[in-house]
Amino acid sequence: MKLNVDERWDLIDRIAKRTLTFGKYKHTLKDALGDLTIKPLTGIPIAIAVLYGFWSIFCSFAGTLCTDGFFVKLFDGHFLPYMQRIFSNLPGWLYYILIGNPQADNCFEAFGMLTSGLFVAIGVVLPAVFIFYLMFTLLEDVGYIPRLAVLIDTVLHKIGLHGYAVVPTILALGCNVPAVTATRILETRKQRFMMMTLLAIFIPCGAQLGIMQEVIPTSMGWVLLYLLLGYFIFGFIIHKLLPGKSPEILIDVPPYQMPTFRNVRRKLWLRTSCFLKKAVPFVLVGCAIVNILYLAGVINWLSNLLSPLFVGWFGVPKETVGPLIAAFLRKDLAVAQLSVIEMTKYQMITAVVLISIYFPCIATFAMMLKEGWRELLGSLVVLATVVFVYGGLLHLIWRLLGVA
Amino acid sequence: MKKKISEMTYQEQGVVTDIEGDLREKLAGMGIRRGKKVKMITKQPVRGPVVVSVDGADTSLGLGIAAKITVEINETTI
Amino acid sequence: MKKILLMGHPNVGKSAFFNRLAGANVIESNYPGTTVDYTKGYIRLEDEDIEIIDVPGAFSLEPKDKAEEVAVSMLNENKDALVVCVLDASKIERGLYLALEIIEREYRVVLALNMWDVAEDKNIQIDVTKLEQILGVPVVPTIAISGEGIKELVERIKEARAIEVKEIIERVKLTSTPGVEVRGKE
Repeated sequence: MKLNVDERWDLIDRIAKRTLTFGKYKHTLKDALGDLTIKPLTGIPIAIAVLYGFWSIFCSFAGTLCTDGFFVKLFDGHFLPYMQRIFSNLPGWLYYILIGNPQADNCFEAFGMLTSGLFVAIGVVLPAVFIFYLMFTLLEDVGYIPRLAVLIDTVLHKIGLHGYAVVPTILALGCNVPAVTATRILETRKQRFMMMTLLAIFIPCGAQLGIMQEVIPTSMGWVLLYLLLGYFIFGFIIHKLLPGKSPEILIDVPPYQMPTFRNVRRKLWLRTSCFLKKAVPFVLVGCAIVNILYLAGVINWLSNLLSPLFVGWFGVPKETVGPLIAAFLRKDLAVAQLSVIEMTKYQMITAVVLISIYFPCIATFAMMLKEGWRELLGSLVVLATVVFVYGGLLHLIWRLLGVA
Repeated sequence: MKKKISEMTYQEQGVVTDIEGDLREKLAGMGIRRGKKVKMITKQPVRGPVVVSVDGADTSLGLGIAAKITVEINETTI
Repeated sequence: MKKILLMGHPNVGKSAFFNRLAGANVIESNYPGTTVDYTKGYIRLEDEDIEIIDVPGAFSLEPKDKAEEVAVSMLNENKDALVVCVLDASKIERGLYLALEIIEREYRVVLALNMWDVAEDKNIQIDVTKLEQILGVPVVPTIAISGEGIKELVERIKEARAIEVKEIIERVKLTSTPGVEVRGKE
């Protein structure tokens, strides 16, 4: 026998009457904290502080401490010369693929599979992803995320999403792959499609953030701001154009909890190892493929073919075509590759933006395909439009400012 | 006095008297139902969501959802 | 017994619970045709390794998002599974809603009243013996993060059996009410 909603609650009330007694409830510090962090007057400043803290820990741990403080020294000072020495007998083409430029004195310029490839994957990206997931898991296990969702719902609902879209959005800052998975917490197909498209286009992943911090530390803020604006502008446009429902937020706001070491360790391990398994092979293979394409002259040919679009419309040197091809495999790799191309600061910003919004990396692509090919196709149409319009717009802004 | 949850003010309390249509089943699992006491915890600005407390559990509802739930207001406790 | 499904609301300490039960050898998999991930592992019961699945959190069996849809399909696919239903003891009423839905579908159920310490802090007293008599399923207070009650719960899994809701309704009528006012009733 099955009961309906009212019969079931009726039964529960009768069971509760016989088995439960409620004593006086005294408010605890946890409740007070819970209230403070969800009321707009105090909650919004706290949220900004939390996100800012997140950001500065991310930068100082990943960028300053791990990458600059340790891995750059290790790779440039010891690993690269060592590799260049022991592989010096390899035939030219193979040396180029594996080790890269023999004159290079740092791992950004060498661009070989075993030099830059390993450096980018382990020296730059791994610390970024690790610290990112550590902090995210802590926020998640403490119970802060639903509060953040409520605070941000006001804005996100205006573009057809709801507060919980903050979870895939933040996760995407770590890696787009689990973020695509996380879109499941949104209710309708429309919302999931929007979320997936927006994050594939506008949210740079932890790998990219890590490498941007290395390559363009001073203009990174502008790049992120431009991407964030794009997220809302195009979110709003898709929301208006696309049929389908955008249900409102309806979520449980759990009390704060002390995170347990075991749980944090387990989640952190699952997330980081999943990243390592998916990313490291892609970085290495990506490096190799790009090098082979260079050797075969394909990239040169494409650069010439696409140069009207790149030079005329986007205002960047035609050499950026190469990194854009690498971007399909790994975005971090692409940004690293850009760093050695001769161009102005503003062209660099445009190129980094283009790499961010252009094609999601292949792992994300595969994940989106799993959600359905129609969705993927739709996303690609949006993507092409955004790359063309938003990339061109940036060039226009530079021209209006008189810097390009 | 009857009003919608969306019209309740900060710290106001009331008892749910009616929930519109299919929303009833959706909310049932979260413990919001007829006869339950609800307390307004916060309202976000610019037509943002509300947070209400029922049986010691906080739930956040979009304003549109909150407008479909009628409550009978009783005494306000500050 | 083929499988054990671990079900409950989100944020009731279900994954901590799962970690306690499944120990090592935990695999994260993807539910076919979706992007919903779930974890599964094995638990040793009477010299037999039984698969235990950490089902995505759900408030009810009327799904309102994809994760809840997966929870419902997992339940439907494993008709002969035993369900360990994890409730937040401090919010037991809405937890019972989900538990009843599962019981109504004639699954064998064991109830874990998790976060028992939180309920105690909030001065909520639950008469576990009486609750067990009324429901007719094993009910065990637990604190998953410290591991309290987990062993007893595992021992009592074998007592679980399918219950007719009618029986529960009958038994409620026969049970006396303590002369205490219950929160939330008019």
